[in-house]
Amino acid sequence: MEYVSPEGLRLDGRRPMEMRQIRAEIGAVSKADGSAVFEMGNTKVIAAVYGPREVQNRSQQLSDKALVRCEYNMANFSTGDRMRKPKGDRRSTEISLVIRQTLEECILTHLMPRSQIDIYVQVLQADGGTRSACINAATLALADAGIPMRDLVTSCSAGYLNSTPLLDLNYVEDSAGGPDVTVGILPKLDKVTLLQMDSKLPIDILENVIQLATEGCKAIANYIREILLENTKELEYRRGS
Amino acid sequence: MVGLSLGEQHFIQGGIAQDLRCDGRKRLTYRPINVETGVIPQANGSARVRIGATEVIASVKAELGKPGVVQPDKGKVFIYIDCSSTAEPAFEGRGSEELSAELSAALHRCLLGAKSGAGAGIDRTSLVVVEGKICWDLYIDGLVVSSDGNLLDALGAAIKAALSNTGIPSVKVAPGASSDEQPEVDVSDEEFLQFDTSGIPAIVTLTKVGRHYIVDATPEEESQMSSAVSISINRKGHVCGITKRGGAGLDPSVILDMVSVAKHVSEQLTNKLDSEIASAEAEDES
Repeated sequence: MEYVSPEGLRLDGRRPMEMRQIRAEIGAVSKADGSAVFEMGNTKVIAAVYGPREVQNRSQQLSDKALVRCEYNMANFSTGDRMRKPKGDRRSTEISLVIRQTLEECILTHLMPRSQIDIYVQVLQADGGTRSACINAATLALADAGIPMRDLVTSCSAGYLNSTPLLDLNYVEDSAGGPDVTVGILPKLDKVTLLQMDSKLPIDILENVIQLATEGCKAIANYIREILLENTKELEYRRGS
Repeated sequence: MVGLSLGEQHFIQGGIAQDLRCDGRKRLTYRPINVETGVIPQANGSARVRIGATEVIASVKAELGKPGVVQPDKGKVFIYIDCSSTAEPAFEGRGSEELSAELSAALHRCLLGAKSGAGAGIDRTSLVVVEGKICWDLYIDGLVVSSDGNLLDALGAAIKAALSNTGIPSVKVAPGASSDEQPEVDVSDEEFLQFDTSGIPAIVTLTKVGRHYIVDATPEEESQMSSAVSISINRKGHVCGITKRGGAGLDPSVILDMVSVAKHVSEQLTNKLDSEIASAEAEDES
């Protein structure tokens, strides 16, 4: 199948290096300490952060740093064909782990010993790149909750189909069988914290693809910063100072 | 879980007794209701309902299936509710299973009628394509995104809104198939049949706190309840289903009184919902 037309357009009309439209909103769940909605094209996720708070299960308490936990869930209606999976299947467990590990590194956990931070992400619509969208939503939610962090973490995926590196794969491109490289970076420190790839790819092309995904992450980071700034300004305005 | 001091508990109970609740409402006033339709593009119909800080999403997916042997002239409807852990950390893992099952069962009772399909708010005979062979199976999925009390009413409203947003593709049956073969069908992707939602009841939950009962309780008020009765009433004023939650016993005469109050409240709620749904649909189309 042809994923990039001779004119250089992808199935959904994007250029190879073009990202889907992203949209973010802070404060979707008013009862949570921090929450955010993040959309990448048709992929839409909600993240909610509870904490830092008392550790619920005493045996898990860490005396030198905060305990970070994460749960990833997909809604039954999120995929094209309706799915009925019990909570906590293998795929969700793996993604929960990936999100937790990525975010734990950037949270200043040593500042909050003997406490717990819960991150819950819920996928409302899945159209490829849910991992990335979840990490982006969780970063925003953590920032909204006012949890001290080294930097924002942002994530984006890239692939390689029809000898062209493609940024931000959607579901159809993701299921095409080509490589799917998910990268997460700390944009200010310029460090990669998450890197996953399936399928195979020549080394010199891998470099290009990772480079492309990193550029995508940076673009997302700029957008997230804008959203945060806007939100902070609004809070300041409401406070009336 | 809500932790309230003794003083706060008295304050809530006293306020309800004096018909002035903590957020300034009267006992039988709802919080503002906000409806948005068409929020899940992949579904046949979907809606998001917000009541206060409670937010629920309902989606309807239609799949072609085979009617059951007992009721060959009726399609099947399934309701599954899921409580997302974003709403409450206690819903993590299997923590929400009990509540999800309770809500699903209550909605089943309120919307789908008896086992025979009699008295259902959703007309299941309209889902049949070829009697005994092909019918539409409706999968209604509810998701609680944020919980701030009164989940059942919100889910009921969301399902109603989602169903009125639902378009079921029209189906052409290929003629000439013999009676024991599975007939071939052609599902149109342009023509859609709208669903008749006028018979779908609204659910009103009356929460009893002290000697009085209130509608649309917040979690703080729910923590003070002795029992709650959810009554689903359709536009004609017929009671379609009743569910009682909470341990304390109720006097039968009180229950009858509650039903008549619920009937009165449901009229306002249905009108409010219908106008909200209509304006949401208008906005969705524009």
